[in-house]
Amino acid sequence: MRRLSIILCAIAAALLAPAAARAGISDTAVKAAFIPKFARYVSWPSSAPGRTNAQILICVIGDDPFGGMLNQAATGQEADGRPFAVRHLASAAGASDCAIAFVDGARTGEILAALGRQPILTVTEAGSQRGIIHFTIVDGRVRFFIDNAQAQARGLTISSRLLALAIGVNQR
Amino acid sequence: MRTAVGAVALGSVLLWPGAAKAEEQPDLSSLSIEQLAQIKVTSASKQAEPLSGAPAALYVITSKDIENSGVTSLPEALRLAPNLNVQQIDASQYAIAARGFNGLQAGNKLLVLIDGRSIYTPLADNVLWQLHHPLVEDIQQIEVISGPGGTLYGPNAVNGVVNVTTKDAHDTVGAFLRGTAGPQERTAAARYGFAIGPSGAMRVYANWSDRDGLPDVLTPIDDHTRAVQAGFRSDFGGGADNFTVQGDIFHATDRQLSGDHANAHNLLARWSHALGGSTSFQLQSYYDWYGSDVTLVRQSLSTLDNEAQLNLTSGAHELVAGAGVRRTRDLFVNNLNAFELNPESRTLWIYNAFAQDRVNLTSDLSLIAGVKFERSSFVGWQVLPNLRIAYQPGANALLWAAVSKAVRTPSRIDRELQLPPVLAASTNFDAEKVTAFEAGYRGQPASWLSLSVNLFYNFYTDLRTTEYSPGGILPIQLLNGRRGRTYGVEAWGKAQVTPWWRLSLGATTLHKNFHVVADRVDFLPRNSLGADPHWQVVGSSDMDLSPKLKLTLDARAVGPLDLPPAVPGYVDAGGQLGYYLNDAVELFVAGRNLIHRTHLENGDPAAQLARRSIYAGTRLRF
Repeated sequence: MRRLSIILCAIAAALLAPAAARAGISDTAVKAAFIPKFARYVSWPSSAPGRTNAQILICVIGDDPFGGMLNQAATGQEADGRPFAVRHLASAAGASDCAIAFVDGARTGEILAALGRQPILTVTEAGSQRGIIHFTIVDGRVRFFIDNAQAQARGLTISSRLLALAIGVNQR
Repeated sequence: MRTAVGAVALGSVLLWPGAAKAEEQPDLSSLSIEQLAQIKVTSASKQAEPLSGAPAALYVITSKDIENSGVTSLPEALRLAPNLNVQQIDASQYAIAARGFNGLQAGNKLLVLIDGRSIYTPLADNVLWQLHHPLVEDIQQIEVISGPGGTLYGPNAVNGVVNVTTKDAHDTVGAFLRGTAGPQERTAAARYGFAIGPSGAMRVYANWSDRDGLPDVLTPIDDHTRAVQAGFRSDFGGGADNFTVQGDIFHATDRQLSGDHANAHNLLARWSHALGGSTSFQLQSYYDWYGSDVTLVRQSLSTLDNEAQLNLTSGAHELVAGAGVRRTRDLFVNNLNAFELNPESRTLWIYNAFAQDRVNLTSDLSLIAGVKFERSSFVGWQVLPNLRIAYQPGANALLWAAVSKAVRTPSRIDRELQLPPVLAASTNFDAEKVTAFEAGYRGQPASWLSLSVNLFYNFYTDLRTTEYSPGGILPIQLLNGRRGRTYGVEAWGKAQVTPWWRLSLGATTLHKNFHVVADRVDFLPRNSLGADPHWQVVGSSDMDLSPKLKLTLDARAVGPLDLPPAVPGYVDAGGQLGYYLNDAVELFVAGRNLIHRTHLENGDPAAQLARRSIYAGTRLRF
């Protein structure tokens, strides 16, 4: 017991100094940076709020893994000459103004189903319920799948530059 | 130990400014999407269980928790859940229970699912943990629900449900290798995941382990075990339709006699379809088979299961309804002694239909009412209702209360084990029943702290008793002669002390009070009540010492077991020190049961001594 505590102290002392060193970049920060940028490579149908609203509304529906990172990433960015706004929603109710919806948490499937065929770019991560863009980690890097058939069914057009970056693209 | 904690705490205070600085992230907004896709990232573990989860006593083990702990098997990973009691029996067998009734014979009240496939066997009503070797790094999360889950999860979820979910194949693209070696155990695992077709992904894996036998207690048993499991999971679709097809194949050579072995395989397909609006349905089918030859006893079981489920949200109502049918065919041939199942082989059916509605009465108050009707070949229709109320006064707290009923359906052993003229088959053996009253709090009082407290009070009736013949001594019979109650508290919390240091602590208590009905005698109470600790405390500390170095330590204190033979309480610890050589290579040393050379966890005659195990290993990702 005593020996264990000595070992622990030694480990703690030797290693706590580097703890102050720069922490790695989290996958969440990179996902937050990606989301506003997606807007530049997606076009919404002409009547959709994603096209017509003065601000491009990014909604976080369900759990919020970003804790302010998304607001930070969206601030000062623009797409199509329009700034971004970020809104948090508990459910799909009230999501009709969203251009992009990041959906996360235990009820992802229900929320995606409730969003139905509205012209919203749905984004998801780790899990069996996937939106149009689905983040994953490959080789320690944030990558994504794109479901282009799902996008087209909602009237969204995704540029070839974004499609080229996807790991897999579901075409109609 | 206290000194070490002190030193670490002091260090954390001194380094606070530095640690805070470490949280600052470089400006990513100026990068192009192509550049963002090239940034190396560290995946953080998600902190708290989401409040949106079910109003039940829920503990979630994340993939990160599993990886940081350094465990290489599913039962050892389950030690991370404070609401489970894990008793190691030998190198490959475990007895695991929630809220009591733990033991090889008694452990029949916990339902375990892996990706929707039940691994609870109706032959003896237990979980044969030694037949399941998933690659632990492929586990997305393990939901551990203590308390009845009869309505949604089905039969035998009397005291709890363990719901293991593996990662979607889209989330395991790339290659992964893990190897560990130590004086007591060696493992090797490989996985390769790839995108397939336009919208699919698939992984294939193999997982091998070689575990030396544990030190003997009563019986000299060579429990050295070698096991290999391989399998695949593929996921297709997106949008309205999602398909999953997965399967595993397992082989183990182990145990006392030469030629003893076990085999298993399974194949599962699932289709979920969004009907538009907020309606979706899911169809799932699986086939599962295992067979084992151990000490002259041959057993096998094949299961074919089909389930359909409908989810519907309309206004304030969220409805889930479903139906299922399961067919099992078993075989039990005993060449070791004269106990036999009559008949040796039998086909059993279980039918069920259920519906559960969540009504959002106000913005912060919900009522959940559900019922499942279930019919098995041995007992007629059973009604399993549950009623829950959830109050969410703010974004950071959930208060809930529930009353539910669950049953354990009789096993083949309960009904048809016989040894004329000593033991008579018990053709009238009925289901064991529980009515459970629960209440709990789950919340995040501060952004760095999550807490959960649950209270339970269970009434049991028709519990199994082993009794003498009413007219004399023999034959002995299994009857439903016992009733009683249990109550206790479960509490746990997780704290993000600094950006690089997480702590978790959990404790449970259990009080049991049982009696045999009017002047009858149960002479093997341990066989149905199990032997449980009346308290248990588990804790862990998880530190990112530097971007390259991670130290995770866990400890548990478990009270003495409450029924003889005596098994004293114990304190033990484990952990992992991991070093990331670069993005692709992680080196680690890990250990289980570090404090004592050996300790006893279970009083069964077959139980061996759990012992210290230390191993070094590497994980490669590319």
